This record gives sequence, structure tokens and C-alpha cells, in this order.
Amino acid sequence: MRNVSKFAALLTGAVALLSFPLWSPNPYITSAGVVVLSYAVLSTSWNFVGGFTGYMSLGHAAWFGLGAYGTGLLIARAGVPSFLALGLAGVIVALLAVPIGIAALRVRGASFVIVSIALVLVLLLVFQSWRSFTGGSDGLVVPRPFPDLLRPEHHVVFFYLFAVLLAVALLAWWTIDRSRFGLGLKAIREDEDKAQSLGVPTFAYKLVAFVVSATFTALGGGLYALWFGDLDPIFQFSILIGSYMVLMALLGGVRHLFGPLLGALLVGIAIEYFKMSYGDTQFHLVATGLLLAVVVLFMPDGVIPAVAGLLQRFRPQQSSIREVTAADLLEQNRSETKVEARR
Amino acid sequence: MSGSLLFQSLVLGVLLGGLYALLAAGLTLYFGVMRVVMIAHAAFLVLAAYLAWDVHERFGVDPLLSMVVTVPLFFVLGVGFQRLLISRLRPASLTMMSVLLTFAVALVVEGMLGFVYSGTQRRVQLPYSAASIEVLGAQVAVVKLIAFGLAAVSLLALYLLLTRSRFGQALRATIQHPQAARLIGIDTDKVAGYGFGLGLATAAVGGTALALDSTIYPSLHWHWIGPLMAIIVVGGLGSIPGAAIAAMVLGIVQSLLQLPLGTTWAQTVFYLALFATLLVRPQGFFGGRLAQRF
Repeated sequence: MRNVSKFAALLTGAVALLSFPLWSPNPYITSAGVVVLSYAVLSTSWNFVGGFTGYMSLGHAAWFGLGAYGTGLLIARAGVPSFLALGLAGVIVALLAVPIGIAALRVRGASFVIVSIALVLVLLLVFQSWRSFTGGSDGLVVPRPFPDLLRPEHHVVFFYLFAVLLAVALLAWWTIDRSRFGLGLKAIREDEDKAQSLGVPTFAYKLVAFVVSATFTALGGGLYALWFGDLDPIFQFSILIGSYMVLMALLGGVRHLFGPLLGALLVGIAIEYFKMSYGDTQFHLVATGLLLAVVVLFMPDGVIPAVAGLLQRFRPQQSSIREVTAADLLEQNRSETKVEARR
Repeated sequence: MSGSLLFQSLVLGVLLGGLYALLAAGLTLYFGVMRVVMIAHAAFLVLAAYLAWDVHERFGVDPLLSMVVTVPLFFVLGVGFQRLLISRLRPASLTMMSVLLTFAVALVVEGMLGFVYSGTQRRVQLPYSAASIEVLGAQVAVVKLIAFGLAAVSLLALYLLLTRSRFGQALRATIQHPQAARLIGIDTDKVAGYGFGLGLATAAVGGTALALDSTIYPSLHWHWIGPLMAIIVVGGLGSIPGAAIAAMVLGIVQSLLQLPLGTTWAQTVFYLALFATLLVRPQGFFGGRLAQRF
């Protein structure tokens, strides 16, 4: 019964999400929908590391930017067909993530966060300075994959492409969540030393999760490059994008499959709404910062457990004492006295 | 490359390293007392620089005078930050969550600076801005010397405070072993708050020094936090002398590399040092047992 209602809820959510291009009033809103969906892909990808192992990376924008620039450069400089370039960029980033992961995962906690931030900053420096190859701050124009499509149709096509990528990422997360591998990762999150002493190959597990997360983020970035068509190091290797991923995942709840997606819908829609009504201002920074501070201080487990806890308070209280009706109690007492009487 | 040019950049490297050392000492203090990596340190540095610029612009006085206000103000802010925000976090996930919290504060400070002062680049113009004196054949700008002097005096004051005063002893005891410190009657919560205040006060001094000789803009703090973070990891988290030595060495190397590579590429030395440290000695070169866990 519970499974059926769960399945129905999932189906309703999927239909509501997928039918969005049909009922969106204008192409601008559709393009905002593409952006929100890309956020959902990114924060779900982030959650492979942040949610399972508890290693919070503030620098996942590095993978986003590498995926975007990898795809863009392969198309613009080497003439590789669009979607082949996307796949190749994913492979390249996965290969790059191995040595970087080996270095970064040697430290825990705060040091890991420092390293992740440093990664974005150094890539930003490199991509801005290496003007002859990356185009520097003049930007890099990525040829569109479907030159015949009009703008509105282009948005719709990419909406569904992002939806497919999101579905694959969610499926991968779900599979890992239920596997022995996922159990090992969660053990690392709870207590890394104990997990290691119990025989979990912690370093290998962390590295695999790190590479998977980086690859999905890079694919999200590559798809973004194909859709948006114009790259600038300032926007691709931006601390802000990395912090959006963390904020969305934390807000939704890192321990839940749909947590990052929920957070991306909430935060992404808010961001796009403010962008539409007030334009691009410093307000984004302040609002993102305040929201992140509130989430960290008051609901570090995310909105799902917070709301569930709130609902729980209105339900009949579960007490540790077993509830027994008066009739049952009488019956019990009688049988007990009978037992005693026989003695 | 002539010898005098080399010597010139060596001197500039030492001057820059002094400022790095002061700021890295502040970061080390936060980490020592609370195991908190304060991402917002550089944001407060830029805030102090803006306040110095504002004081100069509005009242026409020397930006150095702004320290009379900013240093106590930042001290109080730091104490409040620790007591009101950091101490609310769950101890189990304190290190990770505090990074996110201070990161959030950095975003808010940057955004508010953009709001109030706009994104325009600002620079303090002083009568002695262009002046320079010759030291053993090297031309050194007066403002850089003043900045170094400020950093050196504050570092010395911090050193004396930590080693000679009762408060300093209590602070060092709290850093070394909080539980033992509580057992012998130190109010570690209060001491941790003051430690935070001191750390933020270094940002106030550093910011004033920064305002003297650089162009400032709201997102400038990202250019500082990266190198500073690299410095404290290379030096070993929690070790003030380690941070100071790493700051000096990396500052000099950066300055020397600027000659063949240019300013932007020279900055990558910090990140290269960071990654090399992680591969060779993850606990840092001067860190004790503290660093390994965090």
C-alpha cells in the first residue's frame, strides 16, 4: 500500500516536472526552467560526495567549469561533434578527478573544504590567464548543436536533455544508496576511523564517490555549455555556483534522494524570480549568504526532516508505554490472577 | 635579470610576507580556539579597507586613523560572532558547518559592500602615495613600508600578549587542551570568544594596511582568502610560527616569480604549494597533532 502511494507521488512529481515546457507561458520562463533543472543536476551530483561521505566541497564549480570548457573547447578548437564532445569532456574530467581526489581526500573536514575552494580559485586564474587557448575573459563561443532550431524549441529540447541527465544521476544515487558500497560511504560519514577499523576501504570508496560526483557535475556543465553557448571563466569557475550546490543540497536534505532536487526547486526558482524582477544585483550574494547561514544554524539536516518533525508533532504522540485499552487490561489482570491462583 | 631587480623583489616579498603573516596568524587563532576555519577573514579584511577608504574620503584624515575605530569594533564583532553564532553549532559537525557558516558570512559581507559602496574600484590617494625611499639600492614605496610596519608591530604585540600575559597563557591552554584548561579553572568559552575577537582585530589592522597601497573592490577577498588558506595548510593548521614562516617564504617566492611570470601566474604558487603539501605532508610542515584530524 505504502509502495503504491509512494509510486503515485513519484509519478505525479515527474509528470508535473516534465510537462513544464507545455504549460510555461513564454520562452523566457522555459529558459528559467532549464536553469533550475541544471541546478538540480548539479546539486544532485554534489550529493554523491556531500551526502554519502559528509565531505562538503565548496568548490564543485571547478568540475562544472571543467566540463563546460572541456565540451566547448573540444567543439570550438578541435571540431568534435557536440554530443561526442560532451561525453569526451566527461571522460577527461573523470580522469582529472582521480589525481586531484587523491590529493584532496588525504585531509578531512576543514582542510578538505579549503582545498576545494583553492581548486576553483586556481582554475579561475588559469582559465583567465591562458587567453590564447581558453579565450580568457573575452569568453568562448560554443557552436550550438542544433543550428536549425528556433530559440524556444532549443530551450524545450535542452529542458528534456537536463531531465534525462537528472534521472540518470538520481538513479545512480538511488542504486548506490541501497548498495554495500553506499553503506561503506555512509559509515565514513558517521565515523571514518571506526569504518576503517571495521575493514571498509575508506580511501578507495571516497575516491570513487568523488570521481562519480565530479563526472556528473562535469556532464551538467557540458550540457550547460551546449545550451548557453557562451562561456566566461568568471561565471563558470564561480564560487557562487559552488555555494548554490551546497545550499540547495543542505536545504533539501543531504540524506534524501530527492533532497537536492527539492532544494534546487526552492532556491533555483527564488533566484530566477529575483533575477527577473530586480536584475543581476549584489542582492544575490546577500540573500544566498543569509539563507545558507539560516540553514546551517537552524536546520542542518534540511527541510525534509524539519517538516517531517513538525508534522510529527501534530500526529498522535507515540509514547514508549504500550497503549492498552481498559478491556484488554482487565483481561490481562484476570489471566495473571488465574496463573497465580493455580500456584 | 639584474641583481638589483632581484634584490628589489626580494624586499617587496618580505614586505608582502609580513602582511600575509599577520593575517595568517589571525586565521590560526580562530582555528586554535574553536577548530574553525574562518573563510570570512578576508571579507572582513576588505571591509576594514573600505572603512579606511571611507574615513579618508569623508573626513579627509589619514586612513591609518580609522584603526582607532575599526580595531575595537572588529574585536567586539569577533567576540559576538563566536558567542552568538559559532557556539550555536552542534559540536559533532562543528568544523564542517562552521566553514559553511563563515562562508555564508563572507558572501553577506561581500554583497553588502557591493550594495553600499557599489562595485567600483576604489583607491586611497595620499600625499605620500607615490613617495618611495631607497633601501640598499632598492626602491621601496613608503606605503608598503608603513603596511609592513603595522603588520610587524601587531604581530609583535600579539606574540607578547600570548607569551607574557595571564590571558595569553589561558588562551594557549585553551588551544592546547580545552578540557584540561576547563579543569584548572579557565573559562574556555570566554577565552575562545576573546581569541576570535583578536583574530578579527588582525583583519582590521591588515585591512587598513591593504587600503594604503592597493585598489580595493568587493570581490577582492577571494584573492586573499585563497593564498591565506594555502599558507595555514602549508604551515600546519593551528601553528602560529608555522603560519608566519610559511607566509614569509611563500610571499617571497611569489614576489620573485612575478619577474619571469607576471602577477597572475605568480599567484598560482600558493595553490601549487598547497597541493604539494597535501601530497607530501598533509598535516603541514610545522603542524603538530592538531592538524591531522582536521
